Amino acid sequence: MASVEFKNVCKKYGDVEAVVEANWLCEDREFFSILGPSGCGKSSSLRMIAGLEEITAGEIRFDDEIVNHLAPRDRNIAMVFENWALYPNMTVFDNIAFPLQVRELPSSEVDKKVRRAMQFLNLEHLENSGVRGLSGGEKQRIAIGRAIVRDPSVLIMDEPISHLDAGLRSRMRDELKSQVSELGVTTLYITHDQVESMAMADRIAIMNLGRIQQVGTPLDIYHNPRNEFVAGFIGEPPMNFADCELVAENGKFLAKSSSFEIAITGENEQALKDYKGTTKLRLGVRPESTMLVPQSGAGTVSAVVDFVEHQGDRSFVTVKLSNGEIFLVEAESGVELEINENVNVKLEEEYTHYFDAENGLNILFLDEEHD
Amino acid sequence: MSEQTLPNPMPQGNVVSRIMYSRYTRLILILVFAASVLLPIVFMATTSIKQPIEIRESGAILPTRGIFTENWGRAFANVPLVRYLFNSTVVAVTSTLLALLIAVPATYSIVRFRTGGMVLPSLILGTYVMPPIVVSIPIFMMTRIAGLTDTLFGLILLHGMANLPVAVWLIDSYIRSLPVELEQAAWVDGYGRFETLLKVVIPLIRPGIVSAGMICMILSWNEFLFALILTYSDVSHTFPIGISRYEGEHGLQFGEMAAAALTGIIPIYLIVLFFQRYLVEGLTQGGVRG
Repeated sequence: MASVEFKNVCKKYGDVEAVVEANWLCEDREFFSILGPSGCGKSSSLRMIAGLEEITAGEIRFDDEIVNHLAPRDRNIAMVFENWALYPNMTVFDNIAFPLQVRELPSSEVDKKVRRAMQFLNLEHLENSGVRGLSGGEKQRIAIGRAIVRDPSVLIMDEPISHLDAGLRSRMRDELKSQVSELGVTTLYITHDQVESMAMADRIAIMNLGRIQQVGTPLDIYHNPRNEFVAGFIGEPPMNFADCELVAENGKFLAKSSSFEIAITGENEQALKDYKGTTKLRLGVRPESTMLVPQSGAGTVSAVVDFVEHQGDRSFVTVKLSNGEIFLVEAESGVELEINENVNVKLEEEYTHYFDAENGLNILFLDEEHD
Repeated sequence: MSEQTLPNPMPQGNVVSRIMYSRYTRLILILVFAASVLLPIVFMATTSIKQPIEIRESGAILPTRGIFTENWGRAFANVPLVRYLFNSTVVAVTSTLLALLIAVPATYSIVRFRTGGMVLPSLILGTYVMPPIVVSIPIFMMTRIAGLTDTLFGLILLHGMANLPVAVWLIDSYIRSLPVELEQAAWVDGYGRFETLLKVVIPLIRPGIVSAGMICMILSWNEFLFALILTYSDVSHTFPIGISRYEGEHGLQFGEMAAAALTGIIPIYLIVLFFQRYLVEGLTQGGVRG
């Protein structure tokens, strides 16, 4: 087992900066997820950890050891590839036994370890079959078997379940999580699917455009997004955003736009007292922190109904503000509304975020910009 | 035509199409094709059992003056045919191994490390496109300077190098179709780059290596020009040169030549049949997502 640390890690391909000054620490035995849209630098990060890619600048440490120049085979890592990378000319047993045979372990020990892994992953009945005809879920379990069979210090998984169909994916998510936590191995899990990260990871590092946006526990990231990108990327359905202007009136702060005027209170108000930046803000609020109310009031926005989507346990109402901006509002199951009906949307102050429209930072975390 | 009739390869109502697609038409076409391939061989077989005088006088396929088996005995007695077949086998097998030994790592390097950039692959094909006669004089000079004329070793080297482009060309697509993750998995699991090539890549591209080897062997077996230029004696003559040596007092001995030619087909067919077992296609499919 080992911790994994990125210290100012950079990766350039020619002039393209794939990873810029990345810093994070994955603790020993932690399930750590690197999350981001395609092209965000997560795959480059993973390939640098595995030693498949050179590091342009910075340090990668396993525990206290700098591994920058170690060959993949000297890092004691195991990897589950996006396409599983099973050897098509070998049986299931031989695929799982491969890392042990490479290390020339005695065959009795190989046999024991492979059998234990196959039992653990429910693959015993497939021992002697080839890997070609197997289902996606089975191939995926074999790939995990090959990765865990030799007790690696770090287990790296690159979108291991992205290519399974939806039902199987959600089952494998639970299965994978319980398998990994049972093994107690440091796990780096790369994905573009925020649901996977949120459900499985102890902590998440969110990347975009080569930069780490935020590192934190799933709930921390969900409730305290450091910037507009993180706020918009995490959560399904995504957060609502609206342009507004910061206005000070009678010692109070107001978020004002052509379609609403909302008093800024609580933590946000505290943060704005020292705020020296632009007065252009972006208001962000999750659909679940909004509701339809009968009366207009201080914290409400008036809008018209555009679309209603019933999901059974709840409904989502798409409303249009007077300036054309769209909000998604969570409403009770089976809510009855006419299209173009006038409604009042209340935003829960406690869960409303304000972002600097220029740099996208959440005004609550402005100080942490340069850490 | 409605959609229901689509799977039927025989369109209804069109006489020409119906004849074209009929089972009998296909059978006839196959027979014509087979005959055009087999006829020369049959002709050769019947020639090998005709009297020399009949060969000169008549163009009939079947012998008219009775069966004359002496051609076969003479074919082996007058010319050291067995020696030539032995030489050909040695040259074909060894030059093929040489070509593969260089082609596999070279192609791997071209595909994975982009060795030679865009230029090398086209250069390789270019050398194969060039007519061999163009370089025959320098090749002869170089071989003479190296002291390798009239030796099997000289011919092995030359055939190996001449067939290298073919081998590279054939193996290229096999390595290209191999997902690089299979190699990366092996690096992570403990192999170095060279071990990965040897123990992971080569087993997976075996069908490509075998088919490239078969083509190289056939090309070497049939090669005439370089063998003609570089070999002067029975020590190094190969089978195609041997065939041209059936001259008697009364000109070319076609009966003996036919017997020798038929004999010469057999070893290469046996070799190819032997290696065909290893041509298991599609080994690289199915191990990765798809």
